[in-house]
Amino acid sequence: MTTLIRQPINRRWIMRTARAIPFYLALLVFLTVVLLPIYYIFLTAFAPGDKIFTKPLSYLPRSLAILDRYQQIFAALPIARYLLNTTYLATVSTIIALVISFLGAYAIARLQFPGANLVLIGLLASSMLPGATTVIPLFQMFQKLKLMNTLAGLLLLYTSGLLPVTTWVLVSFLKQVPPEIEDAAKVDGAGFIPLLLYVVLPVIRPGMATMFVINFIVGWNEFFTPLIFARGPGAKVITMALSEAQVIGSSTQFYQSWGNMSAVAILATVPVFIITLVFQRQIVEGITSGVFK
Amino acid sequence: MAPVVLWRLATSIYPFVYTAYLSFFDNSPVRRTFKFIGFDNYIAMTKDQNVNDTLAFTLYFTVVSVSLQVVLGLAIAQLLNQRFRFRNLARAVNLLPWAMSAIVIGTAARWIFDPDFGLVNDLIWRISGARPLWLVDPSRARLAVTLTDVWKNTAFLAVIFISGLQGIPLELYEAAKMDGADGIRSYWYITLPLLMPLIISMAIFIAIYRVLSFEIVYALTSGGPGSATALMSYLVYLQGFRVLNFGYASALAMGLFFIVLVVGLLGFGLLRRAWERL
Repeated sequence: MTTLIRQPINRRWIMRTARAIPFYLALLVFLTVVLLPIYYIFLTAFAPGDKIFTKPLSYLPRSLAILDRYQQIFAALPIARYLLNTTYLATVSTIIALVISFLGAYAIARLQFPGANLVLIGLLASSMLPGATTVIPLFQMFQKLKLMNTLAGLLLLYTSGLLPVTTWVLVSFLKQVPPEIEDAAKVDGAGFIPLLLYVVLPVIRPGMATMFVINFIVGWNEFFTPLIFARGPGAKVITMALSEAQVIGSSTQFYQSWGNMSAVAILATVPVFIITLVFQRQIVEGITSGVFK
Repeated sequence: MAPVVLWRLATSIYPFVYTAYLSFFDNSPVRRTFKFIGFDNYIAMTKDQNVNDTLAFTLYFTVVSVSLQVVLGLAIAQLLNQRFRFRNLARAVNLLPWAMSAIVIGTAARWIFDPDFGLVNDLIWRISGARPLWLVDPSRARLAVTLTDVWKNTAFLAVIFISGLQGIPLELYEAAKMDGADGIRSYWYITLPLLMPLIISMAIFIAIYRVLSFEIVYALTSGGPGSATALMSYLVYLQGFRVLNFGYASALAMGLFFIVLVVGLLGFGLLRRAWERL
């Protein structure tokens, strides 16, 4: 009796598994292509200098040489300062951009002034102006205004880069919220600022959270702007330490240099990995809400 | 609203206009010159071999990278849209290259494409026994830059395509199944046509960002060998901040702006045609 019932189920299970094999194979290929290069950088950072060189490569971790690497790198470069600068710039530019974009988005979405859409499209178009077409006048401007090598100067540019997309996304979030909620508050006699703070802000908090996460990652990863505008350690950021770590001490030797690069790459990457894993949902929502209005 | 607009005016619109102005000057802080020379910078551009190489590579890079990203992005979206255990984890893994800094990826790629001890050649050697030189050979260097770019940026497109797939009503697939269509056919006749406007608009969008790319080229090849893998942003950087030739760099920047404009307008026309046909 039991065999009679089980057999067809077993067969169906086998069929289903057989059909799933190509799927899991494809998934495996995909995950390998994404993860193997990342794993390889970890492997390089952890291997002692002379052990990076093996033919064929050995794919198992072999030591904790990364600790010596960090000792050497932290002694030679102001890495802690770089990390602090990076964190400061990413956080503060994100906050300023959110506040300003929030005000701008509210004006565009709610105050029906003529040309509101034009302003929004203009903002977005301006974000497609190549960085290369603005960098030279900004460089001259920064020299005149003594903003070179200052965190304030970098903040100005980091924030500027975040504004168009942040405003765009917040407008799309605002448009999903019926204005009636605000009308009710207005009838109750709420002033403009309390209205923004206690009525509008809570409603689009998911949008703000989403853009906080994405903008922080963008700010953390910034390279071109500090490359041009930060030449002293006071304003340098972690992405600039990659090449600097390659030429310290004995690392003029080829192998040391790649180990050091990998160690810095890990410092620059682990924070954004953690953020990505924790806030995956917000990131996906942010990316898609910019596209699907 | 005023702060957003003012901020952008000061840091983006005004500098852009000033770059257009500078492009008509011989301006170098080293030679301390500031002289109006009309279109001389633009004429010099047409004779600059680096510019020709750069335009050729920009075309190659944009076309190959965008095509690969669209095809792979669709495949990854299809993959990650299935139901399976740990799907959320797989989707998070997909986002990792997106979250990494382009400069980290570019620098690491130089090591990964190392002929003797890089990951890529180790895998190739295990399969075929060959160890191709990647970054000193022009056509392989172009491929290396393009593949690195695809590795980093396909995730973004996949996320958007997943969202697009979820917007297609399931009834359509059920109806197709009743009519006896298999998976491939319903993908070809339902999924692709419905996604097409999204595919085209995203292709334009990422094509513009390919034209603007800087970091991967800067870190992986420095535009070399020769100027086989230079992109316009990189030339502007070289002329502006290594050679300190602000006038000529500005003209190059305006050339870049013109390319972006053409790509954008062409793409927009294409998009309108796609909408009309739908």
